[in-house]
Amino acid sequence: MSALGGPKQTGGVQSPTGMGIAIGIVLIIVALVLAFFFAQMAGLIALVGIIIGGVLIGFGVHFVPVGGAPAAMGQAPGIATGVAMLAAGAGLAGLFGGAWAAPLGLPLALAGGAVGGGLLMAITCTMVNIIYVFGMGIPAASGKVAKDPITGDTFPEYKSQGTEGHGLPFISWVGGVIGGALGGLGGTLIYLELLDIYQAQLPTILDTTVEQIAPVAISLAGVFAVGMFLMNAVLAAYNITGTIEGPHDPKFKRFPRAVIAAAVASAVAGIFSIGLLELVGVF
Amino acid sequence: MEEIVFGIGITALAGALATVAGAAEDTESDIGSQGDPNSQVQLAPQMGYIHRIFNKAVAGEPPAYGLWVALGAGLAWAFMAMQINPILAIVLGSALAVFVQGVYATTAYLGRTASLAKFGQPVYIDILKSMTTVTMAHAFVAIFTTVAMCHLMISALGHPFPLPLLGLVWGIALGAAGSATGNPFYGKERQYQEQKFGAGVPISASGNIVRYAEAGQRNSLDNGFFSAKLGGPASGICFGLIVFFELWRTVVFEPLAAGWGAVIIGIVIILIFAIIDRYIEVWARKTFGPYTAPEEASS
Repeated sequence: MSALGGPKQTGGVQSPTGMGIAIGIVLIIVALVLAFFFAQMAGLIALVGIIIGGVLIGFGVHFVPVGGAPAAMGQAPGIATGVAMLAAGAGLAGLFGGAWAAPLGLPLALAGGAVGGGLLMAITCTMVNIIYVFGMGIPAASGKVAKDPITGDTFPEYKSQGTEGHGLPFISWVGGVIGGALGGLGGTLIYLELLDIYQAQLPTILDTTVEQIAPVAISLAGVFAVGMFLMNAVLAAYNITGTIEGPHDPKFKRFPRAVIAAAVASAVAGIFSIGLLELVGVF
Repeated sequence: MEEIVFGIGITALAGALATVAGAAEDTESDIGSQGDPNSQVQLAPQMGYIHRIFNKAVAGEPPAYGLWVALGAGLAWAFMAMQINPILAIVLGSALAVFVQGVYATTAYLGRTASLAKFGQPVYIDILKSMTTVTMAHAFVAIFTTVAMCHLMISALGHPFPLPLLGLVWGIALGAAGSATGNPFYGKERQYQEQKFGAGVPISASGNIVRYAEAGQRNSLDNGFFSAKLGGPASGICFGLIVFFELWRTVVFEPLAAGWGAVIIGIVIILIFAIIDRYIEVWARKTFGPYTAPEEASS
């Protein structure tokens, strides 16, 4: 029995199958070998960075409290929009900050990306609560847990009749910020790894200087980073299926499947982005 | 010093443009009924409630605005490459992007509403004529201000991304902020205005949206009039704060501590918002108290 009564909420946790893991590992190894073939050690390191970035995005999306359509009617807790889209908004805002700080070095750019994503979520989650409280007169109440794990607030007595809860409890707020930060971190990492590769390859292929190809390298890396961000966010959204309240939601336990899927998808997409210029060079 | 003062001025201007963009985006999406509350607009005829609300939610707000703003930014970028004045280029790019939005709105309304024919929901041509242009006008404001903001970030603050890519990034962020903040107000407070204030809509009431106005049937222009009072401005403040703080922490504090100043200030801002959020949450619990069931069933 869950704390709220009714059947135990397993959250539909399904462990990854052995076959799935095996195929995933094979695909990742093939991608790593190809990365080494395309750009030697630099390619290998870049692909590992891309895989880590993809995993961070896929994992981070599970933290973001998204209530979808029911949240827009105060029928379920969370933010009233789509999982992938909200995570993308936060992660891309992080990418904006990370790309801006790129000339200052890897650690600073990654930190800038994480803070950028977290900042968007912090402001958005606060504004959601402002609308719920001052626009609709509804206090926050989780439908998945009886007590906020951080503040200890109890929820069942605040929940409106006939709903699954509403608003954004503090644990969801914290989850949103962590999710945004992880998304911004992952997106920035992918961008920086690809930027390094393109800045190394493009001057040789086009016979120009690094300064001259900078706009092309930045654009390519940025577009691929945005694309890979959306891919991993959508993968995680499929794993979540619909809505999630944050790290306290039973659905959160599904993340191992998304992490494996994000790693494999990032490896496969990453090899295309790394090998792109090699292919262009061939033709 | 002069550089920082100039940067703060640009930051404030970008924040102001973002605020207008957020407000226009939410009002546009509510008039066009594109956010998550549109699930009820789509559901209502299936429950026997025929209505005159616009219906164009074939894409979420973030990807839709990602497309329109990237399109506006891309066209403006191309016009600027042709040596056209930046302001004129941004106006032209945004205007062309708005035509795409208009085509999207028209086909989405016709397609979504025609799919409800078997439930007796008519396609109202007068709705299409009177409301598509209003959503287009609001979309123009949102796209123009966002593209102008992106242009400022590149030309005045030196962001490395090209204009179309920055348009995509901030277009998606605009849709995310606008839909997150504005949707509950449109969904709960407007579509379910007959339900009790201060409580969520019972799931049993789903589809029973308000369909009548003070005179005659309610339409989406009435909804835009309503959400422009709170949902729109709140979305504007949300997006404006995001853009302002993101730029402000970088422009002012990046020179400190070898660049770590911007990161530290970012974390401090997040903590301040955590305190504000917690204060609001506790205030609501104390002020409104636990839920008490109404004497008569509200559904």
